[in-house]
Amino acid sequence: MKLIVAGCALAAVLFAQQFKFNLDHLAKKSSDTVDLSLDANLIQLGAAFLNTKDPDQAKAKKLVAGLQGLYIKSFEFKRDGEYSPADLDQIRAQLKAPEWARMVNVSNSEDRESVEVWVRTENGKMSGVAILAAEPRNLTVVNLVGSIELSSLSDLGGNFGIPKIPKKK
Amino acid sequence: MDWLEEELKQALARKEPDPGFDARVQRRVSRRPAAPRWLAAAAAVLVIAGGGAIYRRHQGEQAKQQVMLAMKIAGSKLNEAQARIQAIGERQ
Repeated sequence: MKLIVAGCALAAVLFAQQFKFNLDHLAKKSSDTVDLSLDANLIQLGAAFLNTKDPDQAKAKKLVAGLQGLYIKSFEFKRDGEYSPADLDQIRAQLKAPEWARMVNVSNSEDRESVEVWVRTENGKMSGVAILAAEPRNLTVVNLVGSIELSSLSDLGGNFGIPKIPKKK
Repeated sequence: MDWLEEELKQALARKEPDPGFDARVQRRVSRRPAAPRWLAAAAAVLVIAGGGAIYRRHQGEQAKQQVMLAMKIAGSKLNEAQARIQAIGERQ
């Protein structure tokens, strides 16, 4: 019975999540792990508790309004090389065209840092975002499920203590 | 013997209650009206509802913290990408 319940729960998570992370093996090696898994119900519940008088929380409430899922895994390591390029490759392999398209891919071979932003579209409408950010001692994978406007995404900058990068004219 | 010790001994000495004390207590207890059953049920409902509300609030606060953390992480990574794009643009 427990197995069936666990199976249903896992199926529900995988159904909502747009790709599998398959990164659990890194949790043992990491010094800090953030594992967030919020479905539509939890996002709604959390949003109901956000205080719109607080500018950060008001922004967050607006941003999550169109989300059906929020999945993040972030690992902090004490040493370099604790994860392999294959860990990211197996995620990239799931982000297939025509649904997924890589919007941004910035990498610095000197610092061995990279950030990729993938966007999923369905019927001409954005239905998800994937962010893969890799540094020698940090690996973060994000999947935002739902309708997210690009302007809302860029609005993330300048909030939560993150310095906003001025747009050039 | 010390006078204080003597005083204490007297004060704490066992004393038998007056005759009829037991009957008086029993009478008084039986006179006290029993709480109606509906009152006990209402109290139980209130405790359960209150507990549920507290649990729901706790869950909501937790979900709120998680939403905020998720926004912080996603926002910082997007900004990283933006900063790098801008830096490349400036170099060119």
